[in-house]
Amino acid sequence: MTERISLEVPATLSALSTVRIVVGGLGARLDFSLDDLDDLFLATDRLLGAALDAEELDSIRVDVLVDDGTLRVSAGAFTSQSLRQQISVTPGGCIDLCILLQRLVDDVTVEEQDACFCVVMTKHRKGPVA
Amino acid sequence: MSARDERRPSDPLDLESLPGQRRIPEDEDEAEGTETAHEGPAADREGRGKADSEKLDQYLLRVYHGWKDSEDPRVHDDPVKRKRAMDARQQLITMYLPLVRSLARRYASRGEHFDDLVQVGAIGLIKAIDRFDLERGVELTTYATPNIVGEIKRYFRDKGWSVRVPRGLQELNIRLNKVIDELVPKLQRSPTINELAEAANATPEEVLEALETSQAYNSVSLQASPNGESGEEDAGLIDYLGGEEEAYDTMEDRTTLAPGFAKLDKRERYILHLRFFEGLTQSQIAERVGISQMHVSRLIRRSLEKLREEIGDLDNPMPPRSSDDER
Repeated sequence: MTERISLEVPATLSALSTVRIVVGGLGARLDFSLDDLDDLFLATDRLLGAALDAEELDSIRVDVLVDDGTLRVSAGAFTSQSLRQQISVTPGGCIDLCILLQRLVDDVTVEEQDACFCVVMTKHRKGPVA
Repeated sequence: MSARDERRPSDPLDLESLPGQRRIPEDEDEAEGTETAHEGPAADREGRGKADSEKLDQYLLRVYHGWKDSEDPRVHDDPVKRKRAMDARQQLITMYLPLVRSLARRYASRGEHFDDLVQVGAIGLIKAIDRFDLERGVELTTYATPNIVGEIKRYFRDKGWSVRVPRGLQELNIRLNKVIDELVPKLQRSPTINELAEAANATPEEVLEALETSQAYNSVSLQASPNGESGEEDAGLIDYLGGEEEAYDTMEDRTTLAPGFAKLDKRERYILHLRFFEGLTQSQIAERVGISQMHVSRLIRRSLEKLREEIGDLDNPMPPRSSDDER
């Protein structure tokens, strides 16, 4: 059964701490390793940081979906085409946002929501349950 | 009795005629192992052993404290005696710096620059020399070691945090560093939060909170030269990387062309390369580089932040903001 925890945090860097704590708590429940959790923290930080740079937002909605060894972090709703490009396209040869997210999580998708979009990052638990 | 022995009791401030210098071992095993080495073969030829070297320590301490602890103002005001006393103190500091480096090396994986730790440890050594009580009948090494370690620990506790974090969380964070280092080889994988909590005798929530506080840790290193131009950074890197130099050179060929990488120091480039080009996990990088997983985590964040600052538009391959950026 999928659990969904929804947050709406102010569009500030300091609010990312709240997101990390929630993601960390859910990851701990799923017995994610520290390596995997830290990857997810970093991916979330970089995605939301890029969103704050690209858009003037009042708040960011973050949904965390928990499902049998998998964490999905969905953030949005964004409108910036620049942000969309950063997530989807890499010129290669450098650690841009696209490369970074690809390396840190198992899957990154952009989901359309009317005129907006949200970014969904999926991370699976590695190895057997501790 | 030699001429030197005859002179010593009568002229305790004669620093020109000291017995063989004692070499303080830098290697921990050697330090704990214990035999005292002498500086040169001449010393051995003369048959001066450990006892003689210890006499040098005691002699220098007597010279220094003879002046420092004297209640006679004439002794204090005598510029010659003062200079000899300070020379003796300086010589003691120089002699025991290898001990400081040895102890500082134990803490080199916690995110502070090795040379900074040596400087902090040297303060502990100086305090030990200043406070040493000859009447106690202990060796300076015995007395100085806890002073040096204590000073380094205080530095981590009080000065390594850029944002004030509750003492309990700081201590848990430091404890977690150690616990992670112990658990990774034992489990042969990165530990979970629950495993960390159990090993650190804390709740999972406390562990998460402590890990979160590490975001507030270590602003000092951000001030370091990004290129390691001082040379000190490179020296520290060699300490960290040891036998990885060959792999590092290979990496250099492939990644120095990556935009922004030139602004990172060698270790940062190496760690980013391992994580994002070779696909190693943080724990694997920690093992390879010889630092803790938490330190790897901090270095990755710091390096990415430097990259972002250096090439702010790297994350933005599109031309500067256009009308399609609805706001």
